[in-house]
Amino acid sequence: MTSTIKDQDHALQERANHLVRQARLAAAVWTQYSQEQVDNIVKAMTVAAIENVQKLAIAAHEETRMGMIEDKILKNFVASEFHYHQIRDKKTVGIIREFPEEHIVEVAEPVGVILAITPVTNPTSTVIFKSLAAAKTRNSVIFSPHLMAADCSNLAAKIVYEAAIAAGAPKGFITWVEKSPRLRRETELMMVHPEVDLIFATGGTQLVRAAASSGKPALGVGSGNTPVYIHKSASYATTAMDVIISKTFDNGTECPSEQTLVIDAEIAPQLLAEFQRLNCHICTAEEVKKVADAVIDPRTGGMNYKLVGQPADLIAEKAGIKVNQYTKILLCPLEGDLRHHKLAVEKLMPVLGYVIVNSVDEGINRALDINYGGGTGHTAGVFSEDDDVVERFADAINAGRIIVNSPTSIGGLGGVYNNLNTTLSFGCGTGGGNITTDNVGIKNLLNYKRVPRRKNYTLTFQTTKNIYINPGSIDHLRSLKTKSAIIITSRSAARRGHLSMVMERLPADCKVDVFSDVGVEPDFSTVEKAVAVMRQSPVDTVIALGGGSVLDAAKIMRLFYDNPELKLQEVAVSFLDFRHRISVFPQVVHTQLVAIPTTSGTGSEVTPFAVLKDNNSKRKLSLVDECLLPNIAIIDANLTKSMPKEITVDTAFDALTHALEALASTFSSDYTDGLALEAMRLIFEALPETLKNPGHILWRHKLHNAACLAGMAIGNASVGVNHALAHSLGASFDIPHGKANGVFLLSTLEYNSKIPRKFMPTSTYPLWVADQKYARAAQFLGLTDEDAPGETPSREKMCVLLRRAVYDLARLAGQPLAVAELGIPQDQYEQRMIELVTGSFEDMSMRTNPALPLIPEVAALLASAYPPRQRP
Amino acid sequence: MSGENADQAVEQRRTEVLPIDGPLERGIDHIDRTLATGVNLTLDFTGCKFISVDGLEWLEELLLRSDSLGSKVVFTNLVPSVYKVFKVAHIDSLLRACGAPSQPTEPYC
Repeated sequence: MTSTIKDQDHALQERANHLVRQARLAAAVWTQYSQEQVDNIVKAMTVAAIENVQKLAIAAHEETRMGMIEDKILKNFVASEFHYHQIRDKKTVGIIREFPEEHIVEVAEPVGVILAITPVTNPTSTVIFKSLAAAKTRNSVIFSPHLMAADCSNLAAKIVYEAAIAAGAPKGFITWVEKSPRLRRETELMMVHPEVDLIFATGGTQLVRAAASSGKPALGVGSGNTPVYIHKSASYATTAMDVIISKTFDNGTECPSEQTLVIDAEIAPQLLAEFQRLNCHICTAEEVKKVADAVIDPRTGGMNYKLVGQPADLIAEKAGIKVNQYTKILLCPLEGDLRHHKLAVEKLMPVLGYVIVNSVDEGINRALDINYGGGTGHTAGVFSEDDDVVERFADAINAGRIIVNSPTSIGGLGGVYNNLNTTLSFGCGTGGGNITTDNVGIKNLLNYKRVPRRKNYTLTFQTTKNIYINPGSIDHLRSLKTKSAIIITSRSAARRGHLSMVMERLPADCKVDVFSDVGVEPDFSTVEKAVAVMRQSPVDTVIALGGGSVLDAAKIMRLFYDNPELKLQEVAVSFLDFRHRISVFPQVVHTQLVAIPTTSGTGSEVTPFAVLKDNNSKRKLSLVDECLLPNIAIIDANLTKSMPKEITVDTAFDALTHALEALASTFSSDYTDGLALEAMRLIFEALPETLKNPGHILWRHKLHNAACLAGMAIGNASVGVNHALAHSLGASFDIPHGKANGVFLLSTLEYNSKIPRKFMPTSTYPLWVADQKYARAAQFLGLTDEDAPGETPSREKMCVLLRRAVYDLARLAGQPLAVAELGIPQDQYEQRMIELVTGSFEDMSMRTNPALPLIPEVAALLASAYPPRQRP
Repeated sequence: MSGENADQAVEQRRTEVLPIDGPLERGIDHIDRTLATGVNLTLDFTGCKFISVDGLEWLEELLLRSDSLGSKVVFTNLVPSVYKVFKVAHIDSLLRACGAPSQPTEPYC
């Protein structure tokens, strides 16, 4: 006995293997077909199906004894003619969609071998539908029909297959499981067959569940339980007719068909009267009980499958109710708690429940009771002339298709009453255990290959619009258009005479306030204080007078003065790429900002950056946006004449770091390169001369220009790892920014001039050229190799020469080049190493460095910067 | 004969290079006849841009026959669209004839 079962299983497996092999070979051959060939084949199949709609409808009715021939003919037409009309012009081969703005195209790839499970309720139409969809997408399909509909299903498959073969389709691309008592077992074997790529299941819940748990990708549908809310604004006459058309369609076998009507009390009398007039029977409470006993299987609580697709008079007879033979629907009032009513379930027959409600809220709630009572994700309907009611209903109900003012069954099929995709398979989303809520069709039978082209970013160059240069340019203030200004500055500005220089030049009729409480590292409380002053005495102009801290603070003050609703934390969110950052800055600024730098370092007067200390996190917050750019910059070297030597050197090294980092940045361009190179050259030329003769305005002017040019460079190209390290060191040990930059410069120049362990992944930087950039910088400075005079240095040597020049300049200027030279004890430095590494790594400056620094590399850079330097 | 000796014997046979010209829609008699003479075959697919299901089945059968004759058939100069047909078909003998490794999981068909 055991061996017999084994033999049977072996034979079944052999049959399954044979079917799958045919399908697999056909799937392989399909891959060579063009769109034109495919379309010709699909057209031939459609014609064959249309020629046989009646034959197949009769065959289906004879075999299943369900539904009506006339409606099955319509279903066959929907599956062939309507379906073809929708897919005819769709591209399914090669490039099928293009997204020019995103530089992406989608290319179709067939899914391969599909196991298609088909139902008893729509046997031939589902086979026609799935066959056309499979051919259109160049897939092979093996049909596993319902046992009670196997002959008619397979007849449908044979008809369209033969037409396809005659039109040139691959042999064996449609196959089917023959009717046999072991059909279900054979289907189960194929569900787990390694050569089946997708299961496309339409049918009973058990089979759909089996498909979903097969381990294969599966497109399944769920059971329905369609609620239909009829709002008082609906036309009772057309509603009644639509519901009758729908619920009697193929004797109710369509799963999107109405199951329970939820009727507003205001419209209920007319609607029910209309149903009666049109030959629907409204059951009494006693009759409802009889109907429920007949159509509901007491063992399962679900419908009695013997009555599926039977006419209303026959069901009434089975229930022991007398109705006339032309009765269309048995309408059953569902009294009591709807959630527990026996008839509040799916009934694929002309038996329809209804409840009466007194408000839209109650109506939607009762519809939800039905929706979540076995039909989640499937279909719902609403009749209403009030769009707000439709929207509220659609928002609440969980259904893949919410049919408005039309029959839900034929409406759900798509194409007849609306423009939904035509289907015989209704995706129910996760509510029904499915992957999609689509009207499943060709789009679900393709793999989509996305072909994205590299982003071509348009780099822009932005800087302050009006820049007044040359010593004495502060006189421009005399013609400044302002009636009320505030000068944001530091206490030292008054001591150095800068404040009076500005105030004397402002127009006589201009009201001037002064806020001079900006310290070395201002925080947001400073900004708030200044903004409060500005609100008390409104201004049209903010004049920032000072070093980088003052200028940055003034930018933020102007921003918050103009936009009181802004929140600092929202505009200071860190980002990887400023084009994708989540912070939203205002597009328009009202108050003009005049930036007058009194040091030659930050270049803040021409950058869209502003840095602020965050006392909570003990870190610096960076704001970046075009709206932070000042309107006017005044580059007057007279304001730097009194700058002490140490600050002169610190700020010059800050500017030098800007130039060197902008040059190698992943966002550098020909525009920023020119600025960076010239800024660097000016610093190498002017700093030694300024140190020799601090009062010489020409060299001060050159240094001031260098800082501004370098500012423009970083304003567009940003900086790199050196700044990340410097920010971290500065925050941890309160080191002035220029000094912090200087101590890492030799390490980061060497690091960035070597082939990175990891390249920086950004589309703006297709080629690592940092070493070439540094070599070009050395060349631009006219550096020569003193050890090999007359020889052309290699690129590597040029990089060494650049570092040597930086070393020599620092030594000449007395600028520290190592952390040890800052007086930081080594043990303290090492103790804070983790903090320094973390701070550096989180710094936004890191993201435009030409190499992606690894965490150990950051640690190594920090460590290498401690001991005193040797000349490179 | 050991496996190594058998391989040597196969290698020592004369190899005929035969082109597959045009679409391969069915078996090609002269290739069948040439294989029957006991030579090794190199099928040159340069001119072949399409293979049908019958063509695939013939190739598979050809490879089976060559195995039983102790000779070797290899495929060369496959255009990508044809090579993809072999890949999607999951027929191990065809892939081996292209010089591709066997499928990581045993092909079922």
